[in-house]
Amino acid sequence: MKKPMIFSEFFRNNGVVMGSILFFLVAFWIIFLILLPQISMLDYSLHPNPINLDAGERADEYTLKNYKYLIFGPEGSSDAFNKVDLMVFVRTIIAAMAVTIMNLFLCYPLAYFLAQSKGGGFVRLLVILLIVPYWINEILRAFALRIIFAPSENGLINGIMMKMGLIDQAYDFINTDIALYAGLGYAYILLMLFPMYNVIESLDRNQIEAARDMGASWTRIHRRVVIPHAKPGIASGMTMVFMLSAGALAAPQVLGGTSSLWFTQLVYQWFNDTLNWQQGAAYAIVLLVASIAIVLTFMKIFKVNMGDIGK
Amino acid sequence: MKSNILFGRIALGVYFIIFFGYLIGPLVVMGFTAFNSAAFPSITPWQCFTYEWFGELLKDERILNGIKNSFIVGIGTVILSVSIGLAASLVLTQVWAKWRSTFYTIIIAPILIPGVVLGISTLVFWRQVSDMFGGVALLNNGIFLTIIGQSTFIASYCMLVFVARLQRFDTGLTEAALDLGATHTQAFRKVLLPFMRPAIASAAVLAFLASFENYNTTTFTFGSYPTLTIELSQMVRYGINPSISALAVIIVVITVFGALALEVYGRRKKVKAGEIKKSKSLPGWMFGNIATILLVALSFAVIAMVFTSQSYSPQQCKADYREARDIETRLKIEALQAARAAANAANGDTTEEAGTDAPAEQGGASGAFGGVFAPTNLEDAAGQSDGEDSGAAAPASPFGGVFAPTNLEGSAGQSSGEATPSAPATAFGGVFDPTNLEESSGTSGN
Repeated sequence: MKKPMIFSEFFRNNGVVMGSILFFLVAFWIIFLILLPQISMLDYSLHPNPINLDAGERADEYTLKNYKYLIFGPEGSSDAFNKVDLMVFVRTIIAAMAVTIMNLFLCYPLAYFLAQSKGGGFVRLLVILLIVPYWINEILRAFALRIIFAPSENGLINGIMMKMGLIDQAYDFINTDIALYAGLGYAYILLMLFPMYNVIESLDRNQIEAARDMGASWTRIHRRVVIPHAKPGIASGMTMVFMLSAGALAAPQVLGGTSSLWFTQLVYQWFNDTLNWQQGAAYAIVLLVASIAIVLTFMKIFKVNMGDIGK
Repeated sequence: MKSNILFGRIALGVYFIIFFGYLIGPLVVMGFTAFNSAAFPSITPWQCFTYEWFGELLKDERILNGIKNSFIVGIGTVILSVSIGLAASLVLTQVWAKWRSTFYTIIIAPILIPGVVLGISTLVFWRQVSDMFGGVALLNNGIFLTIIGQSTFIASYCMLVFVARLQRFDTGLTEAALDLGATHTQAFRKVLLPFMRPAIASAAVLAFLASFENYNTTTFTFGSYPTLTIELSQMVRYGINPSISALAVIIVVITVFGALALEVYGRRKKVKAGEIKKSKSLPGWMFGNIATILLVALSFAVIAMVFTSQSYSPQQCKADYREARDIETRLKIEALQAARAAANAANGDTTEEAGTDAPAEQGGASGAFGGVFAPTNLEDAAGQSDGEDSGAAAPASPFGGVFAPTNLEGSAGQSSGEATPSAPATAFGGVFDPTNLEESSGTSGN
């Protein structure tokens, strides 16, 4: 009978009017915006698409065929597995990890520098410089990179190199996915920087001084003092960058090659081109579950709590 | 030790340049493309400085409509997610410790769920709800769905902002108000809300910006109300002109302006409060701050741009550019024709020269050249073949076929000196010395 006690206490603390407003808002959020939509999507993914039912199949019965499709491909196909889609899936996950690690190495020195400097006008200006690109539209940021990487003389890099005579044929940054990885890293780099900055800032500078006085080398200070302290920040930055790049849609659409897809693009195609929402929902669930599972596994390996994320 | 520090500084500088180059560079490049008259957004090749894409942008109905929809969605999202975030943060501070981490996990999850998934789940869920009630139009409305979908995770952002602020709130204040006879609602409105006002303002700005730039969720929920981001994505994917860069420039300028203004404002408050001393070398109204200087410079740049755009016209430059390009294409066509003709000539030569000796061959070669060049640039061709003949005619003739293309390139008027002496020259050692050829092409020029 704990539940009523919590509620009575809650209403006593907040008054009936305020208490119910707060309660209503939070309940609305959790139930109607977070939980039920996910459950409903799961439910959707377990139903066949009513437009192209198999013989003897009913639209309201549960089936795993949408998931089977991802793994085994269409029935009667010659391949044992749905190689194309599975490859896209694996590639998405691995590339998202690579982008995350790339961002980690790019951001760590800057996070350390910003956190350890005493916050003069220069540092504040740097922070503004950091924030401004982040408020530019995701599409526009991807598009900016497209201008740079475009695979013709219109592209900045190709244009310059061709003018200088280094190459006479435009290098295709798009189909080699270089542009895509640069774009994904670019899109979420600040989500890596700021959590790290926040935790490193809270590190007592005396600890570093002490380590240095006792003769610890530069690498050792980072390995034994700074990084252990910054672990929650690193974890939350990596989690966010990984989840967001695995779930990114804008950058792959603008910067991706024609032959190589991102998994979210498959989901998008199921929804908007093929209009098979059930299949799309199944793919989305797979993406969600897989990325959460990966994040949780890594958090377990590196012993980080969920509560540290977002701090 | 000293060189070590120096090395460290250089490394840090290089790293900074790389990092900020990566972060800012693309935006700067995109900014420049807004002023290039090339029809496809690019810097290379640079054509003419122009303002026309800004005019193009203002004429684009879809962009304007997208901006309107984005504002409607943004305002709705701000209202919904700020109130939800505030409520959630208040509840979070009161929930039992045992439940807190579960509660926290649930309300932080939307930040981590891919935006695509949020969009899909919102769409699917409300479709089902509306079916349940016999197809309520509101629940399938793009604006409603987008607000709901975006608020799901933007509320989490807002909540984080509020939690940070609430940590400094003295609950004793509320209790005092209650003791003095205020109702809970009054205590909330008169005590807590004023305290939270800065956080509410920053959460609202954050929510609006996040909503304005959101793509992943919106792309599934927008229905028949495309927001600006959706319109942009369509433009980017299906044919674009630099008006999109012009829009980016406007957004960047507004953002930078806002950020600098905020910085200056904060600084000014601190100066007034006596926390920082004014710098003496700068006029007082600048508060001795780089941000102020930049802000002023930016304002001047924008004003100057608007004024010059009234009078500046790139028509002349564009005409020039078009002419230059026409000439270039004509030259290219000629070169192509010449090369094709040369290939023909070479074929003719090899067949003809099969059994013959030098003298006969010479005639054949010049005949082939003459025939080829007659229609286009007779003069050049004549000069060229003459020069060639006088310089190194006899030994060349057996290999006339090989040399024909390079000769012709020369006659097309460009850089034969550099291009020619490659393979054939070495094959013939001293006779076909590069300088020889340069001479011959020189004569052709004259």
